[in-house]
Amino acid sequence: MISAYYLQIIILVGINIIMASSLNLITGFTGQLSIGHAAFVSVGAYASALATLKLGFPFFASLLCGGLVAAFFGILIGIPTLKLKGDYLAIATLGFGEIVRIVFLNLEITGGAVGLRGIPKDTTLTWVIISVIVTLFVLYRIIRSRVGRALIAIREDETAAESMGINTTYYKILAFGVGAFFAGLGGGLFSHYFRYIQPNSFGFLKSIEYLCMVVLGGLGNIWGSVIGAAALTAIPELLRASADYRQLFYGAILVIMMRIRPEGIMGEGIFRKGNSAGDYLLSKIKIKFNK
Amino acid sequence: MFLQQLVNGIVLGSTYALIALGYTMVYGIIELINFAHGEIYMFGAFIGMILVTVYQVPFFIAFFLAMALASLLGITVEYLAYRPLRRSTRLAALISAIGASIFLQNLALLIMGSRPYSFPSPFVSKIYKTSFVTISKVEVIILIVSFLLMLGLTFLIQKTKIGIAMRATAQDKDTASLMGININKVITATFAVGSALGAAAGVMVGIYFRSVTPMMGLMPGLKGFVAAVLGGIGSIPGAMLGGLLLGVAEVMGAAYISSQYRDAVAFMILIVVLLFKPSGLIGSSLQEKV
Amino acid sequence: MNKKIISLLSILFLLSVLVASGCGGNDQPSGPASDPGPASEGEEAPESTVVKIGMVGPLSGGAATYGQSVRNGVEIAVNEANENNEIEGVVLELFAEDSEGDWSKAANAFSKLAEQDKVNVIVGGVLSSESEAGGPIIMSAQIPTISPSSTATGLTLGNPYLFRNCLSDEVQASQLAEYAVTELGLSKFAILYTNNDYGVALKNAFEETAGSLAEVLAVEAFMDNDENFKPQLTSIQQLNPEAIFIAGYYTEAAKIAQQAKEQGLDVQLLGADGFYSPVLIEIGADAVEGAIFTAGFHSGDESPAVQNFVNNYRELFNEEPDMFAAQAYDAARIVIEAIKSKGTAPEQIREGIAETENFPGITGNTSIDEEGDTIKDVLILKVENGAFDRIR
Repeated sequence: MISAYYLQIIILVGINIIMASSLNLITGFTGQLSIGHAAFVSVGAYASALATLKLGFPFFASLLCGGLVAAFFGILIGIPTLKLKGDYLAIATLGFGEIVRIVFLNLEITGGAVGLRGIPKDTTLTWVIISVIVTLFVLYRIIRSRVGRALIAIREDETAAESMGINTTYYKILAFGVGAFFAGLGGGLFSHYFRYIQPNSFGFLKSIEYLCMVVLGGLGNIWGSVIGAAALTAIPELLRASADYRQLFYGAILVIMMRIRPEGIMGEGIFRKGNSAGDYLLSKIKIKFNK
Repeated sequence: MFLQQLVNGIVLGSTYALIALGYTMVYGIIELINFAHGEIYMFGAFIGMILVTVYQVPFFIAFFLAMALASLLGITVEYLAYRPLRRSTRLAALISAIGASIFLQNLALLIMGSRPYSFPSPFVSKIYKTSFVTISKVEVIILIVSFLLMLGLTFLIQKTKIGIAMRATAQDKDTASLMGININKVITATFAVGSALGAAAGVMVGIYFRSVTPMMGLMPGLKGFVAAVLGGIGSIPGAMLGGLLLGVAEVMGAAYISSQYRDAVAFMILIVVLLFKPSGLIGSSLQEKV
Repeated sequence: MNKKIISLLSILFLLSVLVASGCGGNDQPSGPASDPGPASEGEEAPESTVVKIGMVGPLSGGAATYGQSVRNGVEIAVNEANENNEIEGVVLELFAEDSEGDWSKAANAFSKLAEQDKVNVIVGGVLSSESEAGGPIIMSAQIPTISPSSTATGLTLGNPYLFRNCLSDEVQASQLAEYAVTELGLSKFAILYTNNDYGVALKNAFEETAGSLAEVLAVEAFMDNDENFKPQLTSIQQLNPEAIFIAGYYTEAAKIAQQAKEQGLDVQLLGADGFYSPVLIEIGADAVEGAIFTAGFHSGDESPAVQNFVNNYRELFNEEPDMFAAQAYDAARIVIEAIKSKGTAPEQIREGIAETENFPGITGNTSIDEEGDTIKDVLILKVENGAFDRIR
């Protein structure tokens, strides 16, 4: 019999796998750096919780509702901001994330700063496992399809992709929409597991945590997100034994991990510098020059 | 009241601008969002506070010592956390920066404890009052010092040899390297100058609000970063403008829209500005990049 | 590539295990060296049973200062009980877990304490959101939990395992508003509140009472960890209030007082128990002089219990206790009394806590009502000559 604590960590690992792999679609495959993923999660968490509490939806419908509302916001923020590139897009998503958090903090219907309590505990291990499998399956199918190749083309070279006839705006919005949908789904699982939600757990630090999972696991590799999510959920718990030094070690581990394997555990290509063998060789030569 | 709020915004904005300068300089050279910059700002404030209260060092000496020591810290962080990742992806370096930030914040927490420390103001508190605005002596000093530091920085970038090397490196690292510029040296210098400015902001905010805590770098760090992007990341005048604009926007948002939505208003303005100028206010011209 | 992955995963795993075993070898997260060490004590008195007391709160992150105060308070109570051999044949052991101020991480901490460490009782969470997220967990694990500082309205309703030991926001704010109007003769108020559950509850209660007795001119908000309050204060100054009620903690209140004074806004400052910390005076200095606030604890109290606590705290942590520490100490004392009267099993401790009646704590006489809420006396303190003075 597995202890309830381990069960909780396993469930959280599952939920974080959904968050990380959906962010990986946006950041790892499409190359759009997003520091606002927690906003989609919180939109989904609130939407599904309210659907259950106020509208009496069954659990499955609430989850779907959370995902759809988050996807709607993903597209909404996607349309105007997607002409931004690189770090400008990142900061716009960060701003969006903070705006969402502050709005939830002040809205009457979400309980404001007090939060929303009394959400039924519908999330079980079975639900989480099913959701993880569905998420990974759908993302895998997308990536292996024509759409996925278009997304990767956008990441590698947006201008070139456009000149090849790829409607870059459409595909970028698609990536944001799908990514946000799964983040919202995960948010629904989150709120129906903890039975309580409050906006302060969905700040930019949370978005950065998801980003860390993606990069640590390996950009552009779905299995990497699985490993990244599992590692960064488990490490802080393992570090509990080190008491006051816990966060210190956590920070150091991030630095050391990146130093040992900058491309992430499962990563292979060099993001934004081209994936070709030639580029890779070139980067090696440059290092020699510097030394 | 409008004028008073404008003054409030400019004072707040000038501290954001100083923090933003550190971000933007580093970004201009190695395209890295230096997340640990907020922590350098915090360490600067702590060093200043300890020098003044424990070692009784005169304030202005403490101010420069804090800048110097924070430079060393910035250089160390660069050497340990960023240099090994220079040829890898930008996101890997970003995660390393986040790790460094968490590490430094909790290091301060372990050394100093979590309670806020009081940072006694070295200036006699004095208020200048006109019929429209009230401004305190500390605020005037913050404005003057910020202005002088920015002026000094502009001189450094435009006129000195290291400044020219910085600009060359920002434009094209490889060519600059071929021209005999030691890239490592330039990067070290950039971190040193950026961190010193961050520490200066930290000390000034410390005396302004009379307290320092290990957590003080978190929000200003984020705001400084936002200000840098708002102005056009990589651009030095952009960082100054972005900082001031963000400060004024935040204050006006709190005053005329709703104090509950203070930060939301600031971020809203950021997004709107980016929609019309997708690379920040002064971000497009490569020549200005440092 | 596969070799690389395997090697990396093993490095990762080894690293975590190393960290976990190397630093936490003794597995007792409690702080300073002064604590006697349960292992050695176990040898001396082999028959003694170990009762595990858990603690959950922000030990790192933006709210760390509150969480660390709570841990300090609990630690003093635990050390005292162990040193004095207060409970026959029982050694108390403290397990403190960090929440980083994030409720979802607090839920992990609660779960670890309840399910993994098998603690008998928990003191925590510190922030209301932490206790809200932990509530369902400790209820299903049937571990009694007493929060020293979570003031959210209705927190303990419907959860027989969740208690708290803190002043009610509603009672404090309405008593203060009455006092300000009737005793101080103030009639025009402005409110500046933190936008969290604590600030909002205080604001609502104060606005209601003060609004019915006198006039509330302005209500402005700020966020936790804000530093610059000039825009709100400038807006408030326009309306010329006689007093500002600051619904928030000392960390922000001291800065608000400073900035108000700097701006020439010279009004009566009012506050609640969140003001109670030496840091308020240290940072606020002459700007907080004359501030009046409600509190449950007063370190100037002559009673030996209070003096004993204050001295121990100074000795152990080299600083003055704040209200978080005092309330946490009392919460831990309530737990110890419950163990004494009922026994060490979680269910017995729960009964003991629930039956607490007129417990003479350092934060006043305390009773727990049938909902798990606290009934306590409210003191009114004033800052005079850089010290807290009791005026009611």
